[in-house]
Amino acid sequence: MQNVSRKMGWLTSSVGRKQLIGVTGLGLCGFLVAHMAPNMLILFSAEMYNKYSHALISNPLIYAAEVGLLLLFLGHLVFALRLSWMNWRARDTRYAVMSNGPKRTAWAQRSLWAQGLVILVFVILHLITFKYGTHYSVTYDGVEMRDLHKLVVEVFSEPAYVIWYVVALFVLFFHLRHGLGSSLQTLGINHPRYNCAIKVASWAYAVIVVGGFLSQPIYVYLLQRG
Amino acid sequence: MAEQKGMTLNLKIWRQAGPKEKGEFLKIQAKNIIPDMSFLEMLDVVNEELVRTGKEPVEFDHDCREGICGACSLVINGNPHGPEVATTTCQLHMRKFKDGDSIVIEPFRAKSFPIVKDLVVDRSAFDRIQQAGGFITANTGAAQDANCIPVPKKNADLAFSSATCIGCGACVAACKNASASLFTSAKVAHLALLPQGQAEREERVLKMVAQMDAEGFGGCTNTGACSAACPVEISLENIARMNRDFLAASIKHR
Amino acid sequence: MADATPKSTGKLDSKAPSGPIEKRWDTHKFQMKLVNPANKRKHTIIVVGTGLAGASAAASLGELGYHVKAFTIHDSPRRAHSIAAQGGINAAKNYANDGDSVYRLFYDTVKGGDFRARESNVYRLAQVSTAIIDHCVALGVPFAREYGGLLDNRSFGGSQVSRTFYARGQTGQQLLLGAYSSMNRQVDRKNVEVYSRREMLDLVLINGVARGITVRNLITGEIESHAGDAVLLCTGGYGNAYFLSTNAMNSNATAAWRCHRRGAYFGNPCFTQIHPTCIPRSGEHQSKLTLMSESLRNDGRVWVPKAKGDKRSPKDIPESERDYYLERIYPSFGNLVPRDVASRQAKFRVDEGRGVGPSGEAVYLDFADAIKRLGQAAVSEKYGNLFDMYEKITDENPYEQPMRMYPAVHYTMGGLWVDYNLMSTIPGLHVLGEANFSDHGANRLGASALMQGLADGYFVIPYTLGNYIASNPLPKVDISHDAFKASREDVSLRLNRLLSVKGNKTVDDIHKQLGKIMWDLVGMSRNEAGLKTAIESIRQLRSQFWSDVRVAGESNFKNSELEKAGRVADFLELGELMATDALERRESCGGHFRDEFQTPDNEAKRDDEHFSHVAAWEYAGSQGDKVTWTRNQEPLNFEYVHPSQRSYK
Repeated sequence: MQNVSRKMGWLTSSVGRKQLIGVTGLGLCGFLVAHMAPNMLILFSAEMYNKYSHALISNPLIYAAEVGLLLLFLGHLVFALRLSWMNWRARDTRYAVMSNGPKRTAWAQRSLWAQGLVILVFVILHLITFKYGTHYSVTYDGVEMRDLHKLVVEVFSEPAYVIWYVVALFVLFFHLRHGLGSSLQTLGINHPRYNCAIKVASWAYAVIVVGGFLSQPIYVYLLQRG
Repeated sequence: MAEQKGMTLNLKIWRQAGPKEKGEFLKIQAKNIIPDMSFLEMLDVVNEELVRTGKEPVEFDHDCREGICGACSLVINGNPHGPEVATTTCQLHMRKFKDGDSIVIEPFRAKSFPIVKDLVVDRSAFDRIQQAGGFITANTGAAQDANCIPVPKKNADLAFSSATCIGCGACVAACKNASASLFTSAKVAHLALLPQGQAEREERVLKMVAQMDAEGFGGCTNTGACSAACPVEISLENIARMNRDFLAASIKHR
Repeated sequence: MADATPKSTGKLDSKAPSGPIEKRWDTHKFQMKLVNPANKRKHTIIVVGTGLAGASAAASLGELGYHVKAFTIHDSPRRAHSIAAQGGINAAKNYANDGDSVYRLFYDTVKGGDFRARESNVYRLAQVSTAIIDHCVALGVPFAREYGGLLDNRSFGGSQVSRTFYARGQTGQQLLLGAYSSMNRQVDRKNVEVYSRREMLDLVLINGVARGITVRNLITGEIESHAGDAVLLCTGGYGNAYFLSTNAMNSNATAAWRCHRRGAYFGNPCFTQIHPTCIPRSGEHQSKLTLMSESLRNDGRVWVPKAKGDKRSPKDIPESERDYYLERIYPSFGNLVPRDVASRQAKFRVDEGRGVGPSGEAVYLDFADAIKRLGQAAVSEKYGNLFDMYEKITDENPYEQPMRMYPAVHYTMGGLWVDYNLMSTIPGLHVLGEANFSDHGANRLGASALMQGLADGYFVIPYTLGNYIASNPLPKVDISHDAFKASREDVSLRLNRLLSVKGNKTVDDIHKQLGKIMWDLVGMSRNEAGLKTAIESIRQLRSQFWSDVRVAGESNFKNSELEKAGRVADFLELGELMATDALERRESCGGHFRDEFQTPDNEAKRDDEHFSHVAAWEYAGSQGDKVTWTRNQEPLNFEYVHPSQRSYK
């Protein structure tokens, strides 16, 4: 049998594409920290929270940052979808019986793509709710700015929204916990001496980021609700 | 030898006349199965019975029956090579089953492993991946003394652990993406770990990955199902090594 | 076209060069003709079988520029049974500084083979052994190494020097994958084409010269013809004539047997090697036997109970009631006596009624002392993988109770007769590896099979084949030639005949019966009456096969029953020849033990005066179910290693 003609190139290969997903994923991990940490200000005061938001969105560099973020996100998403589609086609028939026992693998690891889709829906709703949500205004020290705090409190007073938010964050937790180690493996980082540390770090990262994000709606729902 | 009274098992065996035909499960009982039989010897019993009753026996690949040739396959109750870890189907023994058990036997399923007949699949894609670069260019007669280049024992041992892959395809069968990454990476790693393999290291990983993709295997999503199903326990570290080499080669390659 | 026929120089001319033995191969290489590099491309070479010999031959001939077509019955060349060899590969490197040399390896091999091999061939084998290791290392074969990074060696099979290179217990696998990789490189370069799942069912001769083969595509059932300028047969041994052996299920003699029926002489068919340490069979269902590496005898002690029919558990048999018979009979070699001796002694114990285990067909191999002396960890470090394998198969823990072992057919020293150039009595048909009658004489030493397969493929055939191609006019032939058509018809006819019997016995029923005859009467010890009975029984079984076999399915699909049937039909003829050869060889030597010819203390007694020769059997035709052969002889002269009685006391 003749050899199938081979296309060589980083981004046309399954490994290269997966590495792009990994790199963009790591970039998004960085974004999550940068997003979560300052938002913790909501636990302290409305003024600090709003002033920080204002500083952020009034900075002209924000547009460049948003474009960059969008590219990261789309890169991660598009290549993940393409790879999932290719993977779906590679296994064109299913088994009658699922694997079980010691040869069965973790559910969370097998469903990274599905978790990604939940997160996609979450992100779209999240943008609609907050970025493009009701524009309240507030003035501090003579400067008029958007009162995001008011919007957040309003949204997080809604139990249904909080529940959905918590659920989505749990999905994000699994996605991060497995995604981080998975990205490193994809980029070629796997060494018996450091694997344990990587595992612990992935856990810690996911717990901190998701914990931080979770604390916000819960705090608001329990203590700030009007 | 005296007739031993053995177990009765309820089998559902995949039958498919050819690559394009529709397959279905054959329900059949395996009788007088004794615990010392291997799984394939149990299928021999089934086949002998089929022949005696004028039916066509079930086709399955097998050869050495000692776990090294990689010819035997089968997905048994959802697990490639059956429930035991680090075991090929031919080394799986019937003492792992109980009288009255139901056993579903399917072929390895993947688009790149088309079914030939019944439980036999075409794994020639694996050969083509090897042909794309799984070698060291060294003509017969050209080599210098074997002890000219010392190889650190640790590297030699690691290279051996990768080279021990038997090419059975359980990794592809187990992977939800039917990815051949574990198989391909085992050869990439074996040769990358040895000084003799350095000259072609970049070229090799680029070509083998390209061929792996061209064959229609899926990509790796790091579920680890391959390694869990692998009868010789090839480690996921090989895939990381392949990824690392692939990235470096993609950047450096002219 | 008489001028197109290669020169014939008498059918059993060994073509072994004369002169000082260490110069013979070099002189011969120089005297051989060369093929113009630009012309090599125009020559198609057919290689049948892709084990160590076939894959290495295909690779090295591809490197030279020949157009090679390689055929395998498997789905991939890598499945060939060479892959299962455990122990190692010998080479006269003397890395261990313990006095090894090419001459010593040569000497040990001739002596170990009980003086029934051709000295020139054996010397060449020892000579090229070192280059094999160099080449394999260059191909990336991960041999075991010392901490300093240099190659490790071990002593193997009772050898006095450490000359065995190994890759854990999987040396055959690693060497085969090395040869496979180098063949793959030639596939990538388009010098080699691999035809998988093809079974050679006939050799095509044109004017008496091998010019092609007829194969069956095992997937579609199609009968195909392939033409070439030479045919290399690398199809392994015929141990599966015994049904139960350590060979793989698909190992068979059909390709070799079809060549034999076309005129290739069969050398020393009765020389079979029975390996002493295999896992005993557990019942009628047994499909094959599993070997446990010979290295186990380095630390394990072999024993049986002193009393006959002692059915107690080994733990309950006190030390004083055990017979460590190898240590008793051979105080100096003890448990490390050569394979044939260890096997025979195990059989004697079982025949005395002192065998152990449920079937009574086993002896104990006990590690209790080794565990006491070295500790369980050290024993596990050395033999852990073998112990695990044993436990997987038998469900018994060898750390706690002794292993049960029994000899099993393992290797066949006999095979198609070849001259020094590895060419059979059919011009153009070359035979490599275990398929030829080989350099091992009447008994092969451990770790020498891998050496011979690779020597033939990497370092002998590239030279001798060139000489054949350059010395003979090879007019172009293609598959439209009548000979190909006739061969295809023969093959189809035979397949249809197999399918049309539609009797009551399955192929395995008959194969098992043949195996029982072979094992009982042509096995570890043989005698005149038994061999005569065997010949008669095999003939009857053969008629029964052709009148009462049932082969399910059809010929135009994948049909493993039909494949098996054709192979068993050939074993039914080969089995008779093995028994006939054993009957005619009225001496004991190596693996061939005749009860009538033994020393007072039950050791093999050679008859150098009458049997210092290769028996090369010529197929003389068949009538109905009756097959006849003519026995030819190639005398063996020993100029360097003088025949002596082997003694391991």
